Amino acid sequence: MTSATTDPVEEFRRLSDDDPELRAHGAYYSCTFLLDMEDHRFLVRMHRGRVEELVTDPEPLTAYDFAIRASADTWRGFSRRTPPPMCHGIWAATFRRGMRLEGDLLVLMQNLRCVTRQLELLRVTGPLVPAHRDTASSDS
Amino acid sequence: MAVGRISPVTGHYVGIEVEGVQYRVFYLENGTGQPLVCQHTAGCHNHQWLGLLEDEEITGRYRVIAYDLARHGKSDPPLDREWWKEEYRLTADHFTAFIVAFCDALELEEPIFMGSSFGGNVALQLALRHPDRFKAVIPVEGADYAPGFYLDWWQHPHANAAQVCASGVWDLMAPQSPEHDRWATWFYYTQGSEAFKGDLYFYSVDHDLRGRLGEIDGERCPVVMLTGEYDYLTTPEDGRRTANAIRGAEFIEMREIGHFPMSENYPRFAQYLRQALQRIEQRTGG
Repeated sequence: MTSATTDPVEEFRRLSDDDPELRAHGAYYSCTFLLDMEDHRFLVRMHRGRVEELVTDPEPLTAYDFAIRASADTWRGFSRRTPPPMCHGIWAATFRRGMRLEGDLLVLMQNLRCVTRQLELLRVTGPLVPAHRDTASSDS
Repeated sequence: MAVGRISPVTGHYVGIEVEGVQYRVFYLENGTGQPLVCQHTAGCHNHQWLGLLEDEEITGRYRVIAYDLARHGKSDPPLDREWWKEEYRLTADHFTAFIVAFCDALELEEPIFMGSSFGGNVALQLALRHPDRFKAVIPVEGADYAPGFYLDWWQHPHANAAQVCASGVWDLMAPQSPEHDRWATWFYYTQGSEAFKGDLYFYSVDHDLRGRLGEIDGERCPVVMLTGEYDYLTTPEDGRRTANAIRGAEFIEMREIGHFPMSENYPRFAQYLRQALQRIEQRTGG
């Protein structure tokens, strides 16, 4: 799905900013969250529906509102074009695949529509892997 | 829907009394023959059954009736009680009494009852409590026990409850289901947030048939369970385990579909529903 020359992290950012749903409903979508994918962590800072900042492996004390943590394997399923059962959303994976929703979950709930939509863009980008890594093959 | 086409589905209100309280219940219906009474999912309403209600292959032989439970869709809260002074928490006693009262009011003889999610769970309760009132039950996305969904988030005053309920159930649906139908289901869910949490009191708390499934006689009242593989609340394993513990019950796993099969992908659901109805016909002699 993604070629070795495509940076899925940048692609995620571009798709987010161009997404019709997020543009239509994201006027108040402003929050910061962490996607913990085991091998790497990604800090997503949203401001009025746009990605203000997307940091790969942020510094340890970087603040955020909430975190979504799961194994690399669960995120790989989550990021397939058609995710397999129980990897197809944050609720499904939290109930059945050991995903953990942590931090201020009220902020997650306040932005649930947009967060849900945005994370489905992973089905287009494939698993987030930093571009500077020298191989496109999976290392886990 | 073609411009100018008038659907054969009609809507009616019927007055019923449940546990001494009056209700005005709205229902949609179409078809003739064996009554097939349909319960929507928690926090939703009977538009979920529109695909079935307009399925001529079914309505040619079945009288399909899809009602709105009180506090849902076009069925108001209790008419003669100060319901606004109480917290709404649905119980198995009330839910089953409501369904029987509704079937009595319409003078339905030997209806088949089908419900999804909390409707699937109440189908099991009906098979346990009223095996002689129903010809058979079809619990869709049901199980003996379904914990974990009675959450404060559904009514938190600092969040948009309509969106939390609708997007909170989004990934109960399968990614393969048509996007338009998933969004229709999402839209229905934005309309039911005042009832959703109270419904889930039944779904996740009051409904608990663990250790009691052996009391259901699936020979007397056939039980045919249907569960979608993308249902994370009551998984196919839960459905299979439940059916295995009920004498005479059957289980059918539905592929590439989730927890709202009748509204997220009716054509796919219909394939499995036809199997279930066929099994009931075979076992009850039509």
